[in-house]
Parts: sequence; structure tokens; C-alpha cells
Amino acid sequence: MSAAQHQALVLGSVSFVAFIIFFCFLLPSRRTKFSIFAACNLLFVALMFGAVALVDLSGGRAEIVVAVMTELPVVLIVAWVCLALAGGLPAQLPAEPVARRPWLRTILGSAPLVLLLSVGLATAVGLVWPSPALRVYAPAPPQFFVLKGLIMAPEAIYSGLAAMVFVMAGRGTGLKRRFYFKNLAFSVGMGCIALIALESTVFAGLRIWLSGEGRRAILETLNTLEAGLAISCILVFTAGLSLRYTPAVATTLLHRLQTGWLRTQEQFESLEWQAVSSGAADRLRHASYAVVEACRIEGLSESDTQRALATIRLVAVMRDPSSETQHITPDAARKLYELQEEILCDDVLASKISWAAGWRSRAHEPQTVKSAPLHDALKAALELVDNHGESEGVRTPPLWYYIVAVSAEEAKMIDSTHLSMQLRDGAEHRTAVEAYDAAKRALRMVDDQDWEWRMREE
Amino acid sequence: MNVDAPKRDLAGPFLNRLTGFWRPLRTLGAARSRVNGSRSLLTAAEFQEELAILGLSGRRFEPEDYSDALGEYLNISITVHVIPDSWYPELSRLLAISGRLGELRYSEQLNLAAIFVPGSLPPLVLTLTILHELGHLAAGDLLIEPDEQFEEDDQHTEQTTFETLPLKKGKKLARGYPFAGESLREREANLRASYALFAGCLGDDSPYAHDMYDVL
Repeated sequence: MSAAQHQALVLGSVSFVAFIIFFCFLLPSRRTKFSIFAACNLLFVALMFGAVALVDLSGGRAEIVVAVMTELPVVLIVAWVCLALAGGLPAQLPAEPVARRPWLRTILGSAPLVLLLSVGLATAVGLVWPSPALRVYAPAPPQFFVLKGLIMAPEAIYSGLAAMVFVMAGRGTGLKRRFYFKNLAFSVGMGCIALIALESTVFAGLRIWLSGEGRRAILETLNTLEAGLAISCILVFTAGLSLRYTPAVATTLLHRLQTGWLRTQEQFESLEWQAVSSGAADRLRHASYAVVEACRIEGLSESDTQRALATIRLVAVMRDPSSETQHITPDAARKLYELQEEILCDDVLASKISWAAGWRSRAHEPQTVKSAPLHDALKAALELVDNHGESEGVRTPPLWYYIVAVSAEEAKMIDSTHLSMQLRDGAEHRTAVEAYDAAKRALRMVDDQDWEWRMREE
Repeated sequence: MNVDAPKRDLAGPFLNRLTGFWRPLRTLGAARSRVNGSRSLLTAAEFQEELAILGLSGRRFEPEDYSDALGEYLNISITVHVIPDSWYPELSRLLAISGRLGELRYSEQLNLAAIFVPGSLPPLVLTLTILHELGHLAAGDLLIEPDEQFEEDDQHTEQTTFETLPLKKGKKLARGYPFAGESLREREANLRASYALFAGCLGDDSPYAHDMYDVL
């Protein structure tokens, strides 16, 4: 067995073992486009080196073709990685550092074209001036250095660039630890490929210009180094691919929230605001003032007052048959409430989705689906409008709910005959009625004072 | 949204005539570009790329951060004015009657964009309205000459491509050109707003941000 066959046997065996590991352990658990491509590539390399080890193909142009074919899988890997980093694969986003730098994206995107052109050019050079490409330690003519350089120089540049991008991606601020190690592993892998390319070019140069006793020993050392780098590269790529991370929110769920819940809630709230602001819900104005005043008299918290206000608004808008409010129906309210409940079932998701209470108001707590007044208001309004105050089970409604019920009944937004006995009989109801009456008296006094002031002005 | 285009001082009949010659050529160019240019609506993944350009991908952010980063990238000053109802009680009523929630004013001359929103808007609607108007700036919707003769087709799916218009001048964040149809520009601004809200809430928990750090 010649030295070339021996080297091919080593590299073929390494590739075959790597393929088996990939196929048995990695592919079943993590089937990405790259892992499938890498597995196919490894099998191709193993078969290629196996053929070289079994059949002595040295001599002539066949040697050049086989030598180029053995380089091709690595070239394809580098091209694929660069294209993936540039976001050039179907349905693939670019790496974060690449997205921020259009020039880097252009360079990485050109990798497949440049690399395949250089391989084609190297093949042409090799076929015109054949050289002992497979006989590892045989002296070679200068054309061999040109052949190797044409393939290895762009390969080293692109793999070095890819290694740098992986380092940059891994250093992203606030990144999950797993991403850091994953990108680090790929960076080391691409660094190994860049070093192999450099080593291979130096090796080709030494085969031409080195002579004497130490020549063989130096070439053997470099060969061992190359095999070590190849094994390291395969190992770190395997480690990188096996590091998995599942995001807290799935893409399909996110899409559903964006197109379902968010759109519905925004439409609902904006239509309600438009109806209230344009004065479409006529019965609302006095009722809402009185509700706020009654809540103040009873010393209710700001959040409870907001809930009460949101509920009376909803009841008014749902009961007002104007053109502006025609889309705010009990059915629409129920649909939105169910979507909100769906989000609240997922604790992680519900805790993450929030929005500011105002512009540049970081001092205030942001609102969430749960804390926003609309959530409780929807439930309360649906109970008042649909069930006429019959609350589910044994739950005792809070005081703000009684105040809204009294206000809605008074403003004839809901039918008083249907208001359940359960609501009417309790002490809470009496407190709410007293507070609401006091609020109305207070508002009447303010109105009278305002009227007197205007008369005096005139 | 309103645009205050710079007034060009083209005095003299020669310059007027030159402008007369130039206009059809420019319209021809725009028409050709419109015929050739088409794209589909913005996806969440494409929006994530825009966030990466602004340096916000994988980070939790507030609409203020998005506004600041966008202003810096476009090299314009963006100010948001939340007008309390007690200051201008009529503003909310007039906006509500017209069916709008906010107003965007843009001056090319001053490199200035101002967003006006009534303070009485519910917090979620306020946030989305501001993000919607910022979305128009990101898309470059204010940098086109709207085609008034363009006829919009409401029959479409998410994958359909729509005609676009070239920019007069200026810078935009989006990769694609603005749509020729106004309703599509509005729809895309809504999409940008919802994508921005979720991306800001989720930070590196967003699956799209995750994809940018896990390309293989």
C-alpha cells in the first residue's frame, strides 16, 4: 500500500466513523438541512477515500480528477456554511452580525460561486499540466502548487471569515449560554478548515521546494497535523450540532398571537376608544363620571377604578346600536376573552407579553394581558350583558363590579328585571347603591356650581 | 401621515421648461420600476433582519428604543407627542370621527418626523399606533410619490406579490420598496407594529431571533 493509499485509508475511516455517529445519534434527534448535508458529504468523502485506498489511481489525469473530487466535499461544506450565514438558503435568516453588515453578506453570499469557479480553474490547470496529486510525498512540479493554491486560498479565506462571524455571533449581548458554546464550536470547526487549507498549501509548497533528508519527516509531521485538524473539525461540528435549544415560544404560536389575539384586542380597544371619544355612546358620559366618583368615595384602588371604567364603557358600547360600535358585540367580546384566556394558560408566555402604560413612562408598571383592565372588564361586561348579572359559581364579585351593575341599571344599559337576586340582596350591593347615589349628588353639585359660575361670567 | 416636501426654487422659464421635460422621464422611470418591482407583505423573519440592522435583534426593547434606533439609522429626528386630552379636548374627538388614531408629519427639509397621538388612547393601542407610524418611516412610505391612478385589488392571500414604487430619495430600513397601494402600506405598517411589539417583549426568546444565532 502506497503512502497515498495509506493516508486515504485513514481519512476514509475517520469520515466513515463520523458518518455512522452522525447517522445513528445526531440525525434522528436533530434533522436540520445542514446536518443532512453534512452526513451526505461525510458518506461521499468516505466512499471517495475508500476508492483511493483500494484502487491505486496514481498517475495521469485520473489522479487529478480524484484529487479534486476529494477536495470537493470540504469546498461544498464551506460554501454551504457561508451561504447559510449570509441567509442565502431558502427560508433562512442571516446570522445576526451578517444582517448588520451588508458588505459581509455580499462577500459570504459569493462563496459558492467563487469556490466552485476556483475548483473548476484548478481542475483545468491540473488537466493541462498533470502532477502527482495523490502521491503524498513524491516531488511535485510548480503547477501542483498553483492547483492547490487555487482551491485552498479561497477556502482558507472563506472559512476564516465564517469562523470570525461565528465568534461575533457567539459574543452577542445577553445571549443564552448554549448559543455561545454552539457558535464557539462552529467557529473552531471553521477555523480548523482554514488551518487545513493553509497547511495544505504549505505542504504543496514543501513538496516542490524542499529536498534533503529532513523532507520526509517534515511532510509526515504536516500530514499528522492535517489528520488531527480534520478529526478536531468533525468532533467540534458534531458537538455544535448536538447542542440544542428550543425557544420558549414556538413560531406557529407566535404567528397565531400576532394575527389572532393582538389584532382582535387592538381593533376592539381602538373601536371602543373611537366610539367613546366621538360621543357615539351617548349614555356613557354621565355614567362613567359617576362610576369613577363612586369608586373614589369607596376608596377603591386605581386599578379597580380602571376596571370599573372599562366595564361600564364596554357595556355602553355593546348596548349602543350606532354604526361606530356595530363591531363590538358580545360575540366579539367573548372571542377576545377566550383568546386572552388561552394566553394566560401559558405562564411563560403570559409573563413575557407586556406593553408600556404610556410613552416614555418606565416608572409605571407595564401592562400585561392579565393586569390590563380590559381582561376583567370583558368578563364583567359579558356577565352583565349576557347573563344579566348572574356570576358563575359561588364567586363573590368585587365592589367595583356592583358599582358598574348599579350604574348600568340606572342608565338603562341593562334590564333591571333581569339583574339577579344574588346581586341585589348582598351588603355589597347596598354599599354600591349608596356610593353611586352619593357620587351622583356630588356630580350634580359640581354641575350646579359650574352653571352658577357660567351665569356670573355672562 | 403627511409629508412636507421641500419647495424647490426653480425660478426662470428655462428651469421650468427643464422641469417639464424631466417630469415625463421621471414618471417613465417610476412606471417601469413599478411594473418590474413587486414583493409580498413583510414577514416576521424579514422584520427580524431589520431589527438586527438596528442592533435590537435578540434584545428586549420598548417602542422608545425602536424609535431612537430607527431615527439614528435613518439620520432623522423622530419625536413622539402624546397630547393629553385636557390640553386639546377636540383632538381625540376629531381623530376618532375621522377613524384615525394618530398622525405622522414628516419634513424632508428639516430631517424631522413627528408623531402625534392622543393621550386618552388605551396603552396597548397607544403603543401599537406609535409603532405603526414608525413602521411607515421604516418602510420609506413617506419617500415615494403616491400613484393616485393605482387601482387596488383586495383579493389576495399572504403569499401574493404586490406592485411597489421607487423612492424619490432618502433612506429606508426595509429591504423592499414601499407598496403602490395605500391600503397595503397601511397593512404592512400594522404588521410591523405587531412584529415590533412581540419582538420587544420576547427578546432572545423570540424564535426568529433564535434563528439568527443558530444558522446551521
